[in-house]
Amino acid sequence: MAFLEVKNINYSYSKGTPFEIAALKNCSFAVEKGEYVGVIGHTGSGKSTLMQMLNALQKPDSGAVLLDGKDINTDKVTARDTRFRVGLVFQYPEYQLFEETVRKDIAYGPTNMKLSPEEIEQRVLEAANIVGLPSDLLDKSPFDLSGGEKRRAAIAGVMAMKPEVLILDEPAAGLDPIGRKVIMDMINKYRASTGATVLLVSHSMETVAAVADRILVLNKGTIAMDGTVDSVFSRAKELIEMGLDVPAVTRIAVCLKEMGYEVNTGVYSVADAADMLLHLLGKKEGTA
Amino acid sequence: MIRDITIGQYFPGTSLIHKLDPRMKIVLLVLNIAALFLCRNFFSLLLMFVMSVAWVLLSRIPFATILKGLKMILVILVFTAFLQIFYNDDGTVLWHPVESWDFKITTGGVFSAVFIAVRIISLILMSTLLTYTTSPTLLTDAIERLLSPLKVFKIKVHSLAMMMTIALRFIPTLIEEIDIIMSAQKARGADLETGSLVQRAKALVPILVPLFVNSFRRAYELAFAMEARCYGGDEKRTRLRVMKLGGKDFAMLAVTLVCFAAVVVTSYVNMGSFFLFEKVI
Ligand SMILES: Nc1ncnc2c1ncn2[C@@H]1O[C@H](COP(=O)(O)OP(=O)(O)OP(=O)(O)O)[C@@H](O)[C@H]1O
Ligand SMILES: [Mg+2]
Repeated sequence: MAFLEVKNINYSYSKGTPFEIAALKNCSFAVEKGEYVGVIGHTGSGKSTLMQMLNALQKPDSGAVLLDGKDINTDKVTARDTRFRVGLVFQYPEYQLFEETVRKDIAYGPTNMKLSPEEIEQRVLEAANIVGLPSDLLDKSPFDLSGGEKRRAAIAGVMAMKPEVLILDEPAAGLDPIGRKVIMDMINKYRASTGATVLLVSHSMETVAAVADRILVLNKGTIAMDGTVDSVFSRAKELIEMGLDVPAVTRIAVCLKEMGYEVNTGVYSVADAADMLLHLLGKKEGTA
Repeated sequence: MIRDITIGQYFPGTSLIHKLDPRMKIVLLVLNIAALFLCRNFFSLLLMFVMSVAWVLLSRIPFATILKGLKMILVILVFTAFLQIFYNDDGTVLWHPVESWDFKITTGGVFSAVFIAVRIISLILMSTLLTYTTSPTLLTDAIERLLSPLKVFKIKVHSLAMMMTIALRFIPTLIEEIDIIMSAQKARGADLETGSLVQRAKALVPILVPLFVNSFRRAYELAFAMEARCYGGDEKRTRLRVMKLGGKDFAMLAVTLVCFAAVVVTSYVNMGSFFLFEKVI
């Protein structure tokens, strides 16, 4: 039995109006404990909708989401408990900060879990440490932080609940490469300290390929691919056809293949690409 | 859930009502509302109710959509009608449970409750129809032109209209934002549905604070963007779309005026003691 299981879910927005739109169509997949799954898909492919299904924020029209084998949508209490076990960081989470101090804002989730004050304080410090917020910022107003610091504070707010599954919806959107790297390091740190399962939603295949064990590809509300990073990248041509932003080196490999060279189109890191090209050049010299 | 609110929504179409000059639509709406408030008896009310239903039919907007909009005000409707039943004790007594109490239900009470309910429904039908069939830009454009005589008094009519356009434009954005913030706080365990009134009011803080902060941020950004482009619509602006009254506008005006006259005459001139003409309110 898988840890988190999604079974044949369907979901439409604005049901019964002329604007009805099927956001998810018959999606199924399962995630094991401790896995690091990347979720990618074109804009509007249903990534955010699917992620909101996993912590019972949205209820599927049909199908079920099982956590530890139990349906999370049976009643309101189960749904709310699920939200503490499956933490979801929304897109642009910095716009949801509200407390007077960063400390209180991070403590909001743990407080809702009715933990003891000491436990809450400890979790706030731990989470702040993971996201790298210096302790002197904790007593500032969240509205006085810089954009990047706000994002970290917001992510810490979810991490402080110590969810067993951490879902992040485009956590690095709008950040520069260094900012992106910092966020990825934070996630790894959290994973290392808690052994949590992580689902990372991203537009950038490059980011996902670098960190995830496995990739889910969404296309128009269906799960188009589900497999290891290598197996998904080996179908690079299909990814490009879905309008996904594959790494530049993968694009080069696909072009080379179309020109008739025997190359592996599944490369995604620069180092692999260099190897591939050297190999190719070597072979050509050899045969010529 | 919260996105089901349809106030201010626009449903594009090509019906007669859609094609009316928006200025005329506003004038007709004002006339109709005035007529509704002048109604005194069931005859005039019925006339106005039929008028509003006719408007809905002419607009070709599905009744289901209209009813969904009405659902929102159901509570207010029931509440007002309910109060009327007890407030008015004219006519014959229908129910008087305890002799010594002043509490009783009379025909007058029931009639005025029905009267008020139908009046509110007609009011909502007509006014929602205006936004359903007129795009927000056209609407504010029309308001600006109707108010333009006020320029004589140095009132910045264009700025007022611009503010209205912006306010209308951001209603859907705000609704979407409330939805996202609510979800995000629920993901952190916010409980909006249980607890005492005070607890529930407190639970709104995590939603209202970000909502206000974001709205101010957006307002500043918009203002900066407009200033950066040297926006100044107040002076010497010419128009791409010139509104022109046509035959259908005057035809609708004529029908509305006839109804208006009928309402006034039947309500304020003694028409004998036929039930429909009897004064209710
Ligand atoms: N609240 C809503 N009401 C109506 N339709 C919606 C709503 N939210 C999303 N949709 C629609 O559902 C589909 C899936 O949206 P979703 O937000 O899940 O996409 P996404 O993959 O997260 O996109 P992005 O990468 O841009 O965040 C889209 O077609 C979108 O237009
Ligand atoms: Mg999304």
